[in-house]
Amino acid sequence: MSGSTTILLDKSKLSLADQTFLKLESALNLLGGIIIIALVLFATVNVLGRWLFDMPIDGYIDWVEQSMAFMAFLGIAYTQREGGHIRMDMLVSRLHGRRLWIVELVSSVIMLLLTLALIYGSYLHFWRAYSIGDSSLDIDLPTWPAKFIVPFALTVLALRLLLQIWGYIRAAAENSDQPVAVPLIEDAATVAAKEAASIIISDDIVSDDIKEKE
Amino acid sequence: MGIFASMASMDSVSIGLWVTALMMLLVVIGVRVAFAAATAGFFGLVWIFSAKLGFEKGLLVAIKMAGTIPHSKVSTLALSLIPTFILIGFLAYHAGLTRALFEAAKRWVGWLPGGMGVATVFSTAGFAAVSGASVATSAVFARIAIPEMLKLGYDKRFAAGVVAAGGTLASLIPPSAILVIYAIIVEQDVGALLMAGFLPGAVSALIYGGLVVLLATTRKNFGPPVTGFSWKQRFQSLPGAMPIFLVIAIIMVCIYGGVGTPTEAGSLGAFIILVMALFKGMRWKELRSSLMETAKLTVMIFTIIWGVLIYVRFLGFADLPGAFSSWITSLDQSPMLTLIMILLAYAVLGMFMDAIGMLLLTLPVVYPAVIALNGGEAVTAADSAFGVSGVGCSIWFGIIVVKMAEICLITPPIGLNCFVVAGVRPECSVQDVFRGVTPFFIADVITIAVLIALPGIVLWLPGLMGFS
Repeated sequence: MSGSTTILLDKSKLSLADQTFLKLESALNLLGGIIIIALVLFATVNVLGRWLFDMPIDGYIDWVEQSMAFMAFLGIAYTQREGGHIRMDMLVSRLHGRRLWIVELVSSVIMLLLTLALIYGSYLHFWRAYSIGDSSLDIDLPTWPAKFIVPFALTVLALRLLLQIWGYIRAAAENSDQPVAVPLIEDAATVAAKEAASIIISDDIVSDDIKEKE
Repeated sequence: MGIFASMASMDSVSIGLWVTALMMLLVVIGVRVAFAAATAGFFGLVWIFSAKLGFEKGLLVAIKMAGTIPHSKVSTLALSLIPTFILIGFLAYHAGLTRALFEAAKRWVGWLPGGMGVATVFSTAGFAAVSGASVATSAVFARIAIPEMLKLGYDKRFAAGVVAAGGTLASLIPPSAILVIYAIIVEQDVGALLMAGFLPGAVSALIYGGLVVLLATTRKNFGPPVTGFSWKQRFQSLPGAMPIFLVIAIIMVCIYGGVGTPTEAGSLGAFIILVMALFKGMRWKELRSSLMETAKLTVMIFTIIWGVLIYVRFLGFADLPGAFSSWITSLDQSPMLTLIMILLAYAVLGMFMDAIGMLLLTLPVVYPAVIALNGGEAVTAADSAFGVSGVGCSIWFGIIVVKMAEICLITPPIGLNCFVVAGVRPECSVQDVFRGVTPFFIADVITIAVLIALPGIVLWLPGLMGFS
């Protein structure tokens, strides 16, 4: 569904910028993952507290609603870097060389323009909440942090898109088959093979205790 | 008249059509689906407001309107269910469930004709349901089940076909992220959709199992049954597979009994799988990679949701759905024929596009038309075209369309499940796998026909909860 595509690395400035920026993106994405598991534990405590002790967490819904934007946006640039936002590659998978990189360049520029518009719009949305001191319904949590995360994460995405635009311009100029720092296009068989490989590594750690018992 | 003047004087439905055409163009040239929808929607908002207020003011209104959607649309309680389901899926690989499930299925149903095939169907279906990932499930079971079937002398094409097809049972049985997404986009109750998926999912699995038995009894030299397990051995195999049933049961009991919200049920399920995975030796390295994957998939899904909702916001001004609905209801043919044509269009589209992207992009326009075709939101079952009430129709159509999207995982040209099985098993070519899944593909078509003819299978459980 959201498989990772191959991204080539080398010693060029572009690739170094890509790899450095990836560290920031990975950290943000991991933070998103940690917030997700925190939500799971939080909701578990809430439901068990309600069932066993008749003591749900105060303001549970407010906390969950305020945490959603963090889960939805922190990893947006990482997902773009890894080629994880789905698309239809029916056409682009048939293109090669310069033609392909120019189409990819056009796509990235369109995405960047939209992202810039959304950064401004979501920043205004944040600023309104911040300046009037907007808060959630039940326990008066401030809403501005969740609203701030949108323009923040979209700014990180815009920087990633600039890096990819740089990558596509270079690939088009060099007419390269092996460009660095941009997601490569893979056919169904390769995507499937990768998905299998990533799962099988984790499957190997699975201890097989039924067989051990016999 | 200049191009801008003619753009400004266009009626709203024409603007809707142009913007939708732009979105399709962006999707075809490979713009990420979420951004294609959002770009088209934003462009449409700029167009409509510029025509009313002039370009500068119109642009600012559009920016403000589009800029609030990403935050406000994702910050809802109902959507918090999605990351919990995804986390369950990625943790499930570390909880030792795959082999345990296959072993249990083998001991319980192995004695049937084609028993190993039946066991593969049920264990694949069970794991796919919990992991929510058809392709990955097929990859895992290709490694576990195919060697055992080959050892017993099963035809390799059949063995590969069972595994590829079994993986597709992921998206109907709870926990199902795609049904949650459908429910949110059509503004239907999430719990009702999750409950509605259970029976059709179970029926699909039973039809697959029945098909294997039928093939085993009618064909010569099929694989032999696996016999000789004592009841003691059977019960011994259950605890390892238990978390799977527990997760499905918790979600259904919480929602059906109303003792917890869907998110609480999903979280409880994830918590159980997390404890199980830790017990089975998962450490920070594996947990970290599960969290990274969970976060990435969550972001991917949420991005499409808000991206499409920017487009939906624009559609609200353009009234394209209304125009499409009136056109479709005015067609001089039976509503059922129109419905079948819509489903066939999905089958074709699904061959080229991921299910989530396909549903989110099309539902804002297609869904209102299907409801109108049935007789509107408030229609009773007796007065309707398809024999289901307005609410019933939205649930029923959701299940059928999701089942439809699943079938595309085993049809050429990009039936990913088949590619993944062929990739894991060097002895099977992709053609072998596609040939092996053919009987299952036919079974799926029959299942869809049955679900269309007997909406009761879908609507019985939601009906008990008061959704009818």
